[in-house]
Amino acid sequence: MYTLLSGFYKYIVQKDEFCILILGLDNAGKTTYLEAAKTKITKNYKRMNPSKITTTVGLNIGKIDIAGVRLNFWDLGGQEELQSLWDKYYAECHAIIYIVDSNDRERIPESKETFDKMISSEHLSGVPLLLLANKQDIPECMGVREVKPIFNKNAHLIGRRDCMVMAVSALNGDGVDEGIRWLVDCIKRNSIIRPPRNKDEM
Amino acid sequence: MGGLFSYFRNLLGSREMRILILGLDGAGKTTILYRLQVGEVVTTIPTIGFNVEQVTYKNLKFQVWDLGGQTSIRPYWRCYYSNTDAIIYVVDSADKDRIGISKDELYYMLKEEELQGAILVVLANKQDMEGCLSVAEVHQALGLDALKNRTFQIFKTSAVKGDGLDPAMDWLSNALQNRK
Repeated sequence: MYTLLSGFYKYIVQKDEFCILILGLDNAGKTTYLEAAKTKITKNYKRMNPSKITTTVGLNIGKIDIAGVRLNFWDLGGQEELQSLWDKYYAECHAIIYIVDSNDRERIPESKETFDKMISSEHLSGVPLLLLANKQDIPECMGVREVKPIFNKNAHLIGRRDCMVMAVSALNGDGVDEGIRWLVDCIKRNSIIRPPRNKDEM
Repeated sequence: MGGLFSYFRNLLGSREMRILILGLDGAGKTTILYRLQVGEVVTTIPTIGFNVEQVTYKNLKFQVWDLGGQTSIRPYWRCYYSNTDAIIYVVDSADKDRIGISKDELYYMLKEEELQGAILVVLANKQDMEGCLSVAEVHQALGLDALKNRTFQIFKTSAVKGDGLDPAMDWLSNALQNRK
């Protein structure tokens, strides 16, 4: 009887769990973005002071409950030598957020190259993609109109997946929750191909 | 219930954080402990048993336990796991032969129920040695990509020169303060 009830309770309470990878070059603002997302969506979350965020070498995890599902964010280090580790996470993720530093014009080609390499991985085919032009709080940065054509050049790699380019400022949180809400819809639609991670398997 | 407890504990002010320094023998655990505490290199002998010191870093008090890393005494690490807030796992980046053993020990340790909430910091130590493993290589050799439910960070350190310990402690104290 207990098993029945607890099973029923779990069935009611348990949320589908999806994993989202946050990628991009180093210093693009991935960790700051994750903090901003947690702050925007989770109530009573005390944000980490952005000045205290250092270079990530490893993994930051963020859990966000939104629209009846649980999102598990994996924020990985973006330095060149760490990019070789990204593909270990591809098979298990349900969506990708790729962050571009719109203010760093010099490194845009490098970011584009990394992006192409990532997106052409077969483990990622069909996975929804959110491309963020970050650091919009800096006046002289590139806008979405400038960033979008650069990353759209290889449209065949992006293929038929859900893809969106958005402007955000991770620092002051503008545009953060809109992007995540869009992504949640895509993930739910795509869940026939990529079913949610089952808790029991963990 | 546990949530309620920690809520009251937070009201009563910060308690001392309990941190374990673990790793194979000769990785440099004791050197790191005393680097953190007194800020200089002390001559150490292989630890049999443990060293425990109180370390204050930027107004945060840590109770740091450095446990001996030899094969025969590694099974006793688990006696110290309860109530641990963070684990500093030290790897000898120059010891390529034993990194596999280090990986296994880390793997068994992280499976422990009592450590599920603990924050992990990996120190790729002995970066002053020539031909040592880079951070990405340490990450790969330790199989850290299998860790998908835990926040962790790797730092390059050289305990002898004192490099890299400050960023690691900075990150750790932020992570501990931000943890719910």
